Amino acid sequence: MSREYEKPTEVFKPHNSADVEPTENATTLSTSGRLISYNDQLKDSLENGYNFTKLLDQLITTTSTNELFEAAQALSTYQLDTAYLTFPQQYSQSDFYLIFINRLLALHDRERVILQSSDRYNELYHEFPGINSAGYFIFKLENTVQGGAYYTEKTTGEALFYLNFEKHVLRFNSRAVTQLLLVEYHEKISQDAIKGFENYLLDIGNFLKEDYGFDVDFTLLDPSNSAVYQLADPNLPNSIIDRLFVEAANGGRMLELGENSSPILKLDSGTVIELFEQHNYEDDIDLGWGIKVYDQQHKIGWFDVLLRYEFLRSWYLENLNTLEIQSDALYFN
Amino acid sequence: MANSNTVSDREHVQATQELSKAVANKIRYLQTLATAIDNKDDRLVYQLIDGDRYSEQIVQAKHGSADTDNENLVSDIAAKLGQYLSANLLAYLAETYPFFYFEQIGLGKFQFYFGNWWDRRLFGELDVIKVQFIFDSTEYEKLRRAFELEGQSKRLNSDKISMLSSQADQLQALIDSQEQRDTEKEKTRLQLKKLAQEKVMPWEASKAKEAKQQLVNQLSNLTEQDEKAQDAYRLIKDNEKKVLELSKEDTLIGYEKQSIIAKFGSFDAFEARCESLYRDYIADLIATNGRKNTNE
Repeated sequence: MSREYEKPTEVFKPHNSADVEPTENATTLSTSGRLISYNDQLKDSLENGYNFTKLLDQLITTTSTNELFEAAQALSTYQLDTAYLTFPQQYSQSDFYLIFINRLLALHDRERVILQSSDRYNELYHEFPGINSAGYFIFKLENTVQGGAYYTEKTTGEALFYLNFEKHVLRFNSRAVTQLLLVEYHEKISQDAIKGFENYLLDIGNFLKEDYGFDVDFTLLDPSNSAVYQLADPNLPNSIIDRLFVEAANGGRMLELGENSSPILKLDSGTVIELFEQHNYEDDIDLGWGIKVYDQQHKIGWFDVLLRYEFLRSWYLENLNTLEIQSDALYFN
Repeated sequence: MANSNTVSDREHVQATQELSKAVANKIRYLQTLATAIDNKDDRLVYQLIDGDRYSEQIVQAKHGSADTDNENLVSDIAAKLGQYLSANLLAYLAETYPFFYFEQIGLGKFQFYFGNWWDRRLFGELDVIKVQFIFDSTEYEKLRRAFELEGQSKRLNSDKISMLSSQADQLQALIDSQEQRDTEKEKTRLQLKKLAQEKVMPWEASKAKEAKQQLVNQLSNLTEQDEKAQDAYRLIKDNEKKVLELSKEDTLIGYEKQSIIAKFGSFDAFEARCESLYRDYIADLIATNGRKNTNE
């Protein structure tokens, strides 16, 4: 009897038996005890599944940003399968990040990215109108203890930002943004479409910041006037500024000396770029070079001028080793 | 004894009177200067401290009212005078030469840069007492030359840059032709080997030797080019640096030329204005009542 009983129970061990944590040692239980224990496990598993459906309902239908976040956070780490119950048709955890982004933007009436599903790869993905001919986006889970996920362009593998629900952290990756939007898409995609995509990225950052108090590092996308775009290389040789001086002149602009003798470049509609050396006077340490972009409306960031002015773009790309804007080294290397 | 005493007394009285007069003259000079300074009458100050220059330039008289001895009285406070006079002068220069940017380097001493652009050139010093620019001769000459070259629609460094560019092209060609040279070397070596293995009749010996020598020369020639090619990368980098320096200088001078044309119309007009700076300034002081208002 016991042998015949044991056999069917194996069917209910879909993964490995180590996952099973019977509350009591099965061998010490009577048959009815075993049955009760089994049934309890099933109930728990069903309860777990039911919980999941509630969360999924919440993710899809709620109109509260807080409930939306709650659901996304829970689902992004949810273990739907148990040792006793598995669901053959499932979305992956990374899909919930995609759904969350769409819903968040929709709640702000700013949903422009389209959530698609691929039958071939059995996954969800983001498509952005205007640039969908060049690629599509998914989240890639970070499987280390760090957790979170990287928003990644599938064909190039460029990870545009890192998102972590637990830590309330959003970090843009200046290298990937540059590579994808200013190099890869430069010839293929219209400037307006790239600009639209940039606004979409900014929306994500702004809503996460405003709605949930996320700590957001926009890097080169940051349109605020107080943003300092820190150059990755602390030693900016004069020859690189000389090059800008010459190229700006060819582009009909003059690289002037601002106050403190730092080079400034005046662009259209009151936009001014300043390159400056940062110094911590308290501790007397050089903090390397930074770039600032001023405009009346606080709407223009370093990325925008690179996108708009060809001479700046080529100068930046040609000297990228020195000029690359720093991203958070904790998440990008 | 008594007699000589009387003479001496008379002489002494005369001496006293003369000295007194001389001292009074100096006091009067200094008093006039002090009043001029109090009244902020810079024109008078200029007249007092360098009468020769004043009469020559303003009155256009050969024999002026120069009071050189008295002028020497203030020679040791020239720096202070310069400092005082600079206030109005710099205000005037800012209007007349908006592209010169002055920087104080000592009491009454100023140097100036051309322009407010990146890496602008230090262009000279200002002599406040003489109201005169002392241009840096090297920098000034470059600017003059650039204006001269305008007729040939060239920039100052156009020739040098095109020379460096063609050099760079040659170097690049040397790098690009590496593969071709490698094949050629291989071919030459094979030929040499073949030559060594061939039986040579005594009467053909010298001809064979000649052929061999030719191949050896060709090989060493190719190797030489290889060595050059190895160095070419560095040279091209150096070249780029030089071209950047030169283009930067052309850009700087381009801005300078634009500034001069915008304000004076031509380089000649600019030079003429610099020549008459003292006269123009004194005339301006008279016209503006000493620019006193700008000072307050």
